[in-house]
Amino acid sequence: MAENDLNNPEIDIPDELKQQIAVTTLDRIYNWSRSNSLWPMMFGLACCAIEMICTAASRYDLSRFGMEVMRPSPRQADVMIVSGTVTKKMVPQIVRLYNQMSEPKYVIAMGACASGGGPFKEGYNVVPGVDKFIPVDVYVAGCPPTPQALLHGLITLQKKIEGEHIPDTRWYKKGEVEALPIPILGPDLMDPRHFELIREETHKPLPVVDVIIEGGETA
Amino acid sequence: MNGFGILKGLWITLRHFFDTYLSEFGRNRKKLPLDDQRGMVNSPGLFTIQYPEEVLAAPEEFRVIPFLVYEAGDYDQRKYRCTSCGICAKVCPTQCIYITRKKDAETGKPIPSPEEFYIDTDKCMNCGFCAEFCPFDAIKMNHDFELATYERGETHIFNKEKLGKPVEYYAKIRPVNYALEVAEKAEKAEKSTAA
Repeated sequence: MAENDLNNPEIDIPDELKQQIAVTTLDRIYNWSRSNSLWPMMFGLACCAIEMICTAASRYDLSRFGMEVMRPSPRQADVMIVSGTVTKKMVPQIVRLYNQMSEPKYVIAMGACASGGGPFKEGYNVVPGVDKFIPVDVYVAGCPPTPQALLHGLITLQKKIEGEHIPDTRWYKKGEVEALPIPILGPDLMDPRHFELIREETHKPLPVVDVIIEGGETA
Repeated sequence: MNGFGILKGLWITLRHFFDTYLSEFGRNRKKLPLDDQRGMVNSPGLFTIQYPEEVLAAPEEFRVIPFLVYEAGDYDQRKYRCTSCGICAKVCPTQCIYITRKKDAETGKPIPSPEEFYIDTDKCMNCGFCAEFCPFDAIKMNHDFELATYERGETHIFNKEKLGKPVEYYAKIRPVNYALEVAEKAEKAEKSTAA
């Protein structure tokens, strides 16, 4: 956010006071401070992770935007960069990590695989987009996105945070936010909310089929 | 000699370190102005690219999402080079290209032009096969990487209008390839007139 936007909440300040006081809204100062201290979570899944590491290194230097340190603990992280192919085996762990992150939390789907499955979209072991399981805020296209493209994605996320209004956001409303259901890897991914249905379907008695033997009676 | 390789490798690292300061002090400044030097891929020394203000110059063969080349016709019409032959859709390893051919409204005969042209950027893996195989030089790889969006349902499937870029844009981002292409076309035209 430009400096002008931060202290310009459509309130006229007399000319003689302009150098002495600054007026802003709670939303703006709160979002401004929050968006400039986003700490990403340190985990990578596939080739996009290499680009993410490069973004954090000195050449592109993530910390210029206040994304100072990659936190290895989800409790201390604000933004989760899903960098790479999300396999069915990895989804339960990703959803669990997302649940463990403290609010406010954001998710960036980095690259084609994380946003929509990528080249493996119709594969047997890859999830067609991580947004089927966790809410994604920003999608970064590219395969893999270059460090600059990821930085552009992070700046886009900062813009989104700056536009937030405190009473509207999910985590400042009354009542508890329920944890996302963690899918379980069986023969395929199973949603725990569908267990009853799955049990019902699998415990049905097998249908009785009449077999007619040629020239004989019904068996 | 044992251990010589390590020293050689370390020397490269050390040279990069020295270059950081030497390039500032004018050893390389005589060759290139500093601003140009920082933007280059092979620029000497170590430095941070100040991304939103300063963008690293992309090498010519840099590939992101493909774009369709069109020539400007009368009344701002877009004359796409694409003939909807479908070779790009066939060679695409991830099958992310979808084309339908235009048809004459009266006679129902096919016209060599795309009616619809979609690229699913969630599937595209930027391999560049489409650009390599296109016999009409109609599809090329773009350099624009700033594609981050808030949702993917509508914005991540690029249609013909979004993919279309004028020839001038192609000549700007890939000058060497464009020059080769023009030379090749001129040669062909010369041959056909001679024959």
